[in-house]
Amino acid sequence: MIRRIHALGRRGCDMLEALGRSAVFLARASLGVPAREGWYLWLRQMHFVGVLSLAIIVVSGLFIGMVLALQGYTILVDFGAEQALGQMVALSLLRELSPVVAALLFAGRAGSALTAEIGLMKATEQLTSMEMIGVDPLRRVVAPRLWAGFVALPLLTVGFSVVGVYGGYLVGVQWLGVFEGSYWSNMQSSVSFIADVGNGMIKSLVFALVVTWIAVFQGYDLVPTAEGISRATTRTVVYSSLSVLGLDFVLTAVMFGGFS
Amino acid sequence: MKRGKTMELGVGLFMLAGILGLLFLGLRVSGLTFSMPGETFRLEANFANIGSLKPRARVTMAGVTVGRVSAIDLDTDWYDARVILELDAELEGQLSRDTTAAILTAGLLGEQYIGLSVGGDPEMLADGDVIRDTQSALVLEELIQQFVSNMVGD
Amino acid sequence: MFDNFSRLASMFDSLLVEVKGLRFSRGERQIFRGVELRIPRGRITAIMGPSGTGKTTLLKLMGGQLVPDAGEVLVEGQDIHGLSRKALFGLRRRMGMLFQSGALFSDLNVFENVAFPLRVHTDLPEAMVRDLVLMKLEAVGLRGARELMPSELSGGMARRVALARAIALDPDLVLYDEPFVGQDPISKGILVKLIKQLNEALGLTSVVVSHDIAETLSIADYVYVIADGQVMAQGTPAGLDVDEDPRVRQFVHGEPDGPVPFHYAAPDFLQDILVREDRA
Repeated sequence: MIRRIHALGRRGCDMLEALGRSAVFLARASLGVPAREGWYLWLRQMHFVGVLSLAIIVVSGLFIGMVLALQGYTILVDFGAEQALGQMVALSLLRELSPVVAALLFAGRAGSALTAEIGLMKATEQLTSMEMIGVDPLRRVVAPRLWAGFVALPLLTVGFSVVGVYGGYLVGVQWLGVFEGSYWSNMQSSVSFIADVGNGMIKSLVFALVVTWIAVFQGYDLVPTAEGISRATTRTVVYSSLSVLGLDFVLTAVMFGGFS
Repeated sequence: MKRGKTMELGVGLFMLAGILGLLFLGLRVSGLTFSMPGETFRLEANFANIGSLKPRARVTMAGVTVGRVSAIDLDTDWYDARVILELDAELEGQLSRDTTAAILTAGLLGEQYIGLSVGGDPEMLADGDVIRDTQSALVLEELIQQFVSNMVGD
Repeated sequence: MFDNFSRLASMFDSLLVEVKGLRFSRGERQIFRGVELRIPRGRITAIMGPSGTGKTTLLKLMGGQLVPDAGEVLVEGQDIHGLSRKALFGLRRRMGMLFQSGALFSDLNVFENVAFPLRVHTDLPEAMVRDLVLMKLEAVGLRGARELMPSELSGGMARRVALARAIALDPDLVLYDEPFVGQDPISKGILVKLIKQLNEALGLTSVVVSHDIAETLSIADYVYVIADGQVMAQGTPAGLDVDEDPRVRQFVHGEPDGPVPFHYAAPDFLQDILVREDRA
């Protein structure tokens, strides 16, 4: 029993220490944007984490919008309120689904790749040799990836919402026959740009920070073996998914929960 | 360097698409408009009860959207709700003085909006005028209460 | 013998690196227990020892990447672990390090890999960078491979490119981490020749960490043998070859069993087997 408590305490200390290490890491990396060449390095990472993630985001957004419309319609039509379909689709996408699902997909698609890439660079001594050449790998390798993640995920979230709203339109209006005018006008009269689009974007920014941070830190801090890389990649996906869902609850409670 | 150029182009398009998407969310989804001053004119209407009418709700005539609710506040002279409407400029001088404004509900649970219907007065409403003839929102609880008390009365 | 000593004495007049009383441990395990090394300028010094004695760790300590528990590493008289981050990065400009895996940057091609230190540390015009890079690549015989990506190179070629990158800034000191490990005999021969040539032509000071005895002894001017966290023996290659210490003999002549045991510490074999039978 005593030994269990002892082990628990040690785990707690380890976790706290890792948390502190990652905070220092984040501060050093995000502040240290290299002046020369930095722009180009950032651009490459934007291509990698942003442009190449676009396909999965667009396809998922379309399907989620379509499913929302289909499910929403069957419920709303019982109340004779199928005109409110646009409002339902748009609000659920903007407030919840786009930021959360885009962040989860981003963690799986880009986050795990970032961890594996940085981990492999560590395992092949590229980070050490960079340091020996006199270049801080935090600036050269980590900072561009971190900043690319910050910028790319909110943009991807916007894309997800747009495509999702369009998917809802396809199913609701084109297929199920909701009147087109009421789909859009109901949406427009109930969605507020600041409260709904804006808060959704704030969520997405927070998720971008958390997911990219976890991904690059796991890559930088891993044990440089094949097993270490695979474990760190898994950890990236698990930790970032859990933090996104947990933070989403907290943010929703603060933004839409009505305490102020 | 050729790969670099297409990559730059890709990232550029990606960011452009993101900004356009945000614009779409603003204009099409949340219904923000860049309305030029002078394109609309204002009318006021007082209602005893507005139900759940919200700013930016539609104003319609015969089902066609002709404007929006721009503001709602409490009129402390009469203790009723003063609703400010912004209507398309082409209707200025076309609405008779006895035009009625009613708060209607789209469907059973849908949003609330204002429906205008024109009367027969030869004098027309101008910018800033007040619509006298208004009809408040139907409040479901009141209706049910009425219905129940009628039943008891019978 | 006397002659040898006086030669060494003159070498020690000009030390580039001096390691004093170095202690280092990883977790519970003590890796170094008071290591003393003197690395003379302009020579090839070899550090040898069986695998797992922390030779790579020693290089990392010399490069300032790890901080020792006690003792100091003096490079040109400066304690490398007492330097500020900026001064340390400045000092590293004058050090080249060749990593075991080559450690080429996988997102840059061969040319850009060699150009990397030049671009980071100098503001030379592009034409000059090009000339310098081609010169270094020519020195390792890979000028023609400049457009290739690291993934397209063989192990030996990758190590030669890494060597070209390590000497790109004309450093004073080059640290070689296991340069011969995993190479075919031809690549080994090429690397041996290159290390020797570069040392002579550029006036470099080289530190070679290795357990490839034949190759290392053929180029080294002075050899340290490390075992059990301490310097077990030191001397010229010729001196070590005839050393009487049984441990040195075992290592230098590659005898499978001797004072350094073949078996990892374990309980008695027969007993071990019986215990398993009992359990079954």
